[in-house]
Amino acid sequence: MNIEKIKEFITTIPVNKVCARDLMAFEKTPRNNILAVVIFSFLAMLVVGVAIYLGQGHHAYNVTREHPWGLLIAVYIFFVVSSTGLCIVGSLGDVFGFKDYELISKRAIFGSIVTILAGFTVIAFEIGHPITMMIYNIASPGLTSAIWWMGTLYGLYLTFMVIEFIFLLKHDMKMARYFGLTGLLVGLAAHSNLGSVFGFLNARPISNGVFYPTYFILTAFITGIFIAFILMGFRYKLDFSEKVKTMLTGLAKIQALLISILIFFVTWKMLTDIYGGMPNRAEVAIHILGSWTFWAEVILAMVIPLYLILKDMGKSHVILFWASMSGMVGIFFMRYNLVHDTQLKPLQMLKTREYQVAPEWIHYFPSSTEIMISLGGLGLCMAMYYVGTKVFNLDEDTKEVK
Amino acid sequence: MARYGMALDYKNCINCKACEVACKEENGVLLGADKHRIWVGVKEIEGEYPLLDIVSSTFMPSQCQHCDDAPCEMVCPTHATYYDDNNVVRVDVDKCILCSYCMNACPYDARYVDDRTMTVDKCTFCSDTRLERGEVTTACQNTCPTKVRTFGDLDDPDSEISELLRTREHFSLKANLGTKPKLFYLT
Amino acid sequence: MQVEVSRRKFLQGSVAMSIVGGSSIGVTNLLASHNEKESKTSITTKTGTGEAKEIATLCEMCVNKCAALARVEDGIVTKLNPNPRFPKSKNMLCPRGNAGIQALYDPDRLKHPMIRVGKKGEGEFKKVSWEEAYEAILNGTDKFTGMNKILDEEKDNRSSFLFCAGEGMAEHTFKQFYSAFGSANWLNHASLCLQTVISGYGVTLGGYPQADLDNAEYVIMAGANRAEAIVTPDTMDIFKRTKRRGAKLICIDPRFTNTAAKADKWLAINPGTDLAFVLALTYVVITEELYDKKYVEENVAGFDKYKVNILDNKYTPEWAEKITNIKAKEIYKIAREFMAHAPKAVYYPGRRSTFSNNDFQLRRAMAIFQGISGGVDTKGGLVFGKKLKLSPHASLVPLYDRAQARAVNKVERTKGQVGYSDCAVVSGGGSWVGWRNRYLENKMPYNVRGMFIYKHNPMMNMPNTQKTAQMLEKMELVVAIDTMPSDTVMYADVVLPECTYLERTDPVKTFGGVEPSIAQRNKVLDPMFETKPVMEILRGLTEKISKPIFDITKKYDEEVQSEIKDSSEEEVYAEFDLTKPFEHSQEEVNEHMVKGLYGEEAVEALKKHGVFYPDMDKYFKQVSANEHQYYPQKKKYYSVNGGKAKTESKKVECYLPNLAKKCVDPMPMWHDEYNFNVPNGKFRLLTGRHAQFTQSGTSNNAVLRDLMPENYLWINRRVAEKKHIKFGDMIEISSSVGKTRIKAYPTEKIAPNQLFFVHGFGEESESLTWAYKNGGNDNAVIEDIIEPVYGASSMHETNVEIRKV
Repeated sequence: MNIEKIKEFITTIPVNKVCARDLMAFEKTPRNNILAVVIFSFLAMLVVGVAIYLGQGHHAYNVTREHPWGLLIAVYIFFVVSSTGLCIVGSLGDVFGFKDYELISKRAIFGSIVTILAGFTVIAFEIGHPITMMIYNIASPGLTSAIWWMGTLYGLYLTFMVIEFIFLLKHDMKMARYFGLTGLLVGLAAHSNLGSVFGFLNARPISNGVFYPTYFILTAFITGIFIAFILMGFRYKLDFSEKVKTMLTGLAKIQALLISILIFFVTWKMLTDIYGGMPNRAEVAIHILGSWTFWAEVILAMVIPLYLILKDMGKSHVILFWASMSGMVGIFFMRYNLVHDTQLKPLQMLKTREYQVAPEWIHYFPSSTEIMISLGGLGLCMAMYYVGTKVFNLDEDTKEVK
Repeated sequence: MARYGMALDYKNCINCKACEVACKEENGVLLGADKHRIWVGVKEIEGEYPLLDIVSSTFMPSQCQHCDDAPCEMVCPTHATYYDDNNVVRVDVDKCILCSYCMNACPYDARYVDDRTMTVDKCTFCSDTRLERGEVTTACQNTCPTKVRTFGDLDDPDSEISELLRTREHFSLKANLGTKPKLFYLT
Repeated sequence: MQVEVSRRKFLQGSVAMSIVGGSSIGVTNLLASHNEKESKTSITTKTGTGEAKEIATLCEMCVNKCAALARVEDGIVTKLNPNPRFPKSKNMLCPRGNAGIQALYDPDRLKHPMIRVGKKGEGEFKKVSWEEAYEAILNGTDKFTGMNKILDEEKDNRSSFLFCAGEGMAEHTFKQFYSAFGSANWLNHASLCLQTVISGYGVTLGGYPQADLDNAEYVIMAGANRAEAIVTPDTMDIFKRTKRRGAKLICIDPRFTNTAAKADKWLAINPGTDLAFVLALTYVVITEELYDKKYVEENVAGFDKYKVNILDNKYTPEWAEKITNIKAKEIYKIAREFMAHAPKAVYYPGRRSTFSNNDFQLRRAMAIFQGISGGVDTKGGLVFGKKLKLSPHASLVPLYDRAQARAVNKVERTKGQVGYSDCAVVSGGGSWVGWRNRYLENKMPYNVRGMFIYKHNPMMNMPNTQKTAQMLEKMELVVAIDTMPSDTVMYADVVLPECTYLERTDPVKTFGGVEPSIAQRNKVLDPMFETKPVMEILRGLTEKISKPIFDITKKYDEEVQSEIKDSSEEEVYAEFDLTKPFEHSQEEVNEHMVKGLYGEEAVEALKKHGVFYPDMDKYFKQVSANEHQYYPQKKKYYSVNGGKAKTESKKVECYLPNLAKKCVDPMPMWHDEYNFNVPNGKFRLLTGRHAQFTQSGTSNNAVLRDLMPENYLWINRRVAEKKHIKFGDMIEISSSVGKTRIKAYPTEKIAPNQLFFVHGFGEESESLTWAYKNGGNDNAVIEDIIEPVYGASSMHETNVEIRKV
């Protein structure tokens, strides 16, 4: 009987029947054509990158003993932060009941699903043994490990997000709210655990402490809003209706506040890092200040968006669409910096070979395979989203609650 | 059942690296400069020729510290890193998923990836080779020309290492992190 | 497990293939194919926990001969462990000793006999059978002349063949071939190595002593680098015990070595000026009357003359300061401290190559300085120790009437005395460089046309590589016996592959010292591929050539002809039968050498433990995890000669009139030409050893290369900065004899006007996967300067220029 019910539940999910031809039947504008080419080439890169990885294993990556986490970890974080952020944005409407934001809820929740799937895809090729992971994650859980909690919670989170999305499709706003709230809480827990993966690192003074777990939630919200602008921009081809404009202006105002808090956070992190009386940490912080990727993060993700929002309190929506693009590039650098800066300082500062310069800073630049898999992840994310827009109705439903 | 540790009379070290080769040959550690379980760290001397500061030039043998409170063990999501019966920090190759978290968490750079199994590898105090055969020393101790190392059971008050630690001043690396290493540097 | 399969495959004759790619992968990885070096990577093998054999052997990764136990599992050597029973090496094995396993499984090993088919030096060979190789030696091929023709044309002058060998336990076996063959031209490593040390101490103290570093309280280590040029038990004693006990170590070296890093004091001395330092120490000791007066009176000969020499020449510390760059007050202090600790004070004799032209006199001065402290043949000083006897075994030294004396030119030297053109004294090992250069200049008293080379790499080990190549090209028949396709092997006409030390039993050897013992290298594995121990190689060779070349003797040697007339050809041939020394197996010979003196027990102990000395079972015990007792304290041989020197007069010899006759200073004195001098813009090139490599012999060892991939040029950091040279920049070093290229290592450990790099790298043999063109070759630039007494090569007399490339 239960099975019958489940069957019925599933078959009644409203979907559009689409075939491959429908997917290719997009308007052949230059913009769309370019996007299609980009998505296809990114997907091709994913295939090539994965093929190389399967052939050579971790040798295909530039990760080393001193820098075991590379670009793929950063990209994974990028995706899961995006997911958490979209989940927060989506929850504004359907969980917290801010009516203005309901029109993006479904789209954002769907976005959070595709981004985390992309994240999982990327991390599957970073973890040396994903199958072993699934077995021993359950058979031999390491409860003291932030990675275990993060991974497990994200797994649950994905489940809740999918269920929430289904209820949203079915217009069951009550159930959607329950699952949405649970999903949000689990997602926030997962996400702060991801921050704690770094925060628990006793060996790395630059990352150790409470900063990352809290900062991750903040930056997730910021990321979510950036993506919301981008999603809406594409949805309405930068030609927004008044209703959408109202929402976007609201989001922009929240964003201005969040970015201001972020700048405040980062400033104090830097100040305490440098003047906190820990020479080891201060040295790393000063080194970070000298790296261009840090300034890319600050300018692209903080200065430009904040300036453009504050200019007319979030009323130039088209400009803010582009500012959000800049913001996402900045957010990428933010993730990359987080991973790289954690590992910047060698744990072992002595020469281990006679003819060698004593290790000072660890250098890392991603290999072509890492870059291909990362872009592939982005391509996959975009492709899944595109398919989603065809299969599901991601727009706000007209008021016909059952 | 023992609690194995090692005392290093590190000032005797002449940086010949016999221990490194012995370790690689005994335990089948891969070749490659970054594939080492143990190593000797060298600090380039300070000063200007000929006024060099002799004490600034140190040779520091190092490896996994087999911490009593090991960060690597704590962060492992699958308990692949574990304490064996002799309190030696070991890695279970079957459970390791190569998330590399332990490599980042270890404050001593003691871990690296074994390319054959694609899992994290580290010093085992020769547990699965010499100790399993019933020998009482590690390969590095045995071969050392200047006899830097003394390996033994810290729980046995009559062991040579216990005696050494009672009678000689010593320190641990990065003791401030509270990892409680079982490697002791004799001064 | 996979690894072990690879080693097993190697045993079957195929190359050990890598299962591991490179570890550093760049952005270009996508397109990079694994290069040959990586795919040929040899590998380490994890030891197992199952059944294993342990066979006692002696290491041959350098000349020191430490005792090792080879762990053999399923026919594969999985580990070399130190053998605790050997008093000399006291349960230690250095990195090279541990890496011996890689010498055994080196994929580049010589695997079968070969004869040259291409141009000389190009390394183009044809694989042949042993019989074909022997045949080629005897009768030649279309590419090279055979022994028969050479001896016939030279009318049985056996000295038309040169024999040379590197140091090793089986050198003795090869030398028996040389003796039986009847040549007078023997050259070995001595003149490229420790000739002047051995001789300087030999003529002054009557023998080359050991230093009792275990008990010494004050040690001057000048120009010796025991932390990197490992010698047992010295390295163990000086660094393990001496400092812990509070003994003081003074290190004198132009560069800051690892020994300096462990010393209480390091004094940077100008290269080649140690003699001035010792003379000044002696000056202080004499003027302040700090020496052991009683000892000098009884046991030192010619002291008064020496005293006059020192005082009259005013070898004051202030004088020495200008020459050596060591502060006068340091010299005063060291002289006083040394004598305060005497006789438990050691001026460490060292054991290294000749560095400067005054090296022989330096050694004499050091020995005399030690002598007047009274620290000779005594605990804590220099000791002679005891040597356990071995029974002699039969050897064959036929008399060839036609064989000429050693190819040296006697010339009229000043003061109307007869000497040699190369040097004052001709030693058993000869002057390699002197001999080579005269050979190239056609200044030989007769033709030398062929040469046998055993475990020796003159292309790498002798200054002026170019000339060595010319010499090898000029030789009509070059036979090389070796384990590796070295640069020298590339110039051979016939290559005979020897097995490695782990695949053979070598002549049993006695090791004298405070704790004397006898040790034996036992065969661990049967020889792989078609390789053989040198004993068997020579057995096969002599079986082939003995008769035919006796026929040549018969043809030209009137003595032999008349002897045959008097008796029978068979009887006469018996005296010339070259196969005789190689009749018995090495195992049989060894048994014979110990059984008579020490009984069956010794034979068994040597097979089982690799070591024997009387009462070993009673004395030997483990004292702690890191220490063993070999002899009880009271049984050690600190003093064997009543505290006296071992010279004929039983006195330390300050003044040697015989040297004066040969125009050599009869006692150590300074000459202005000894002053250290580097023209502006040039650098003095220094060379030396490293703990991870033994000259060129280990340059292809994959595990050692792991520790030090190549040699680097030490250049003073400030000088490098001025010349915009950064770490890793490629530098071309050039001198009057040649050039070499090497990467830079700017460091403060060397003086601004000096350069240093480790010897033994930069081989040109393409058959060496890892050593080929890896790093710089010092001998390509070191000039062929020889010191005047023994004609030993002076390694530190070359000034060079550098250029960033």
